[in-house]
Amino acid sequence: MPTVIIDGQKVEVERDATVLDAAKKAGVWIPTLCYHPAVSISGSCRVCMVELDRGDWRQLITACNYPVRRDIVVYISSDRAERARRGVMELLLARSPESPELKELAERMGVKSTPYPTVTESQRSCILCGLCIAVCEDIIGKAAIGYAGRGVDRTVASPFRQPSEDCIGCGACAAVCPVGTIKVRVHEEQEEVEISPFKSRGKLLVCEQCRAPIVSTQVGEQALGKVEMNREEFRELMRLCPKCRRSKTAARLEAGNIDKQRGGRVVS
Amino acid sequence: MAGDEKLIESIVGRYDGEVGMLIPMMQDVQAEYGYLPVKQLRLLSKQLEVPLSRLFAVATFYSSFRLAPKGAHEVTLCMGTVCYLKGAGGICEAICKEFRVEPGGTTRDRLFSFQAVNCVGACALAPVMVVDGKYYDGATAESAIEILHSLEPAEETAETSAKETAT
Repeated sequence: MPTVIIDGQKVEVERDATVLDAAKKAGVWIPTLCYHPAVSISGSCRVCMVELDRGDWRQLITACNYPVRRDIVVYISSDRAERARRGVMELLLARSPESPELKELAERMGVKSTPYPTVTESQRSCILCGLCIAVCEDIIGKAAIGYAGRGVDRTVASPFRQPSEDCIGCGACAAVCPVGTIKVRVHEEQEEVEISPFKSRGKLLVCEQCRAPIVSTQVGEQALGKVEMNREEFRELMRLCPKCRRSKTAARLEAGNIDKQRGGRVVS
Repeated sequence: MAGDEKLIESIVGRYDGEVGMLIPMMQDVQAEYGYLPVKQLRLLSKQLEVPLSRLFAVATFYSSFRLAPKGAHEVTLCMGTVCYLKGAGGICEAICKEFRVEPGGTTRDRLFSFQAVNCVGACALAPVMVVDGKYYDGATAESAIEILHSLEPAEETAETSAKETAT
């Protein structure tokens, strides 16, 4: 197992583990934004830069995607590494100046503001890390959004910048967005869910009892397709919100017939 | 509209349905229609089993792909260093304002497609505007607008708009 020396601290990691993995093992924090264990690593945000010792010189590398294949020495809190990360953070802040998540991370890194002009509203506070695109394609399997344009005009968009037909309204993109730019909006009166800013909308599954929104109908269908349990009881429960589901199960438990229904022992 | 489907099928067939040949396929679609219509991209996406978002990304990445029909005339404004110093920026703004068009876009009446490019290699004539291959030297905001107003709407546009109203 190769050894990584991080700021003088020795850790052993599996071959091909990343510098970020090694730092985690050593208990050293490296800021990350575009890194997410669920999707393939893109190394696009550059906020995790550290210095790698190359003998007579030091190279700046991104910790999240640098594989450890031999014994290496890295510096996380060296002047140059910190300066590089702060520089990146200043650029990111210019792209997404209003994001509370980003501001919090900046503060933790000792960056108070950005000297750069901030971007226009049309770029929608996006840092173009690509996590939303990756999660939609790799995990959800829909690829409802992608990059559009090039260079300074690059944005994340749905095809033709219209509500996407491929979007199932699951909100995975919103869940992974590190700057909180993608949001799930629930329109209760229309019983619809909207993924902002892509304007994609889907019908909501609402609780049969209390009318509370549960998930989009397409997510419900996909979820039902994934479980093998195809009993009527399960389908019935799926039509209820978690709260109503719990109270219904609790009522049944009280009545003492739930285990009988499942063919098990009656617990007294 | 089975014709469209057949055409896309034949384009895909030309490249043995190889997904890696997506760009040549899109070029063929554009050669056929003059631009990339939404419907055709949708068909292509379905036949290749490539997400529509990918096709859109490719179509917007390369400036030679168009998502809207070309205008009847082609207007190129040089924004190279010399032209820019001699006022091309102001000319560009004036054209955009007068015809409600953006660089890279086409006017709403499809009179012309407007492109702001980095140098047309005629710096001695700066600022230069090129209309359908004809070079206009020493352009000003006023002269440029005058030239563009004198452009004739092509018959093609008249035909398509007639067709549109007919259907």
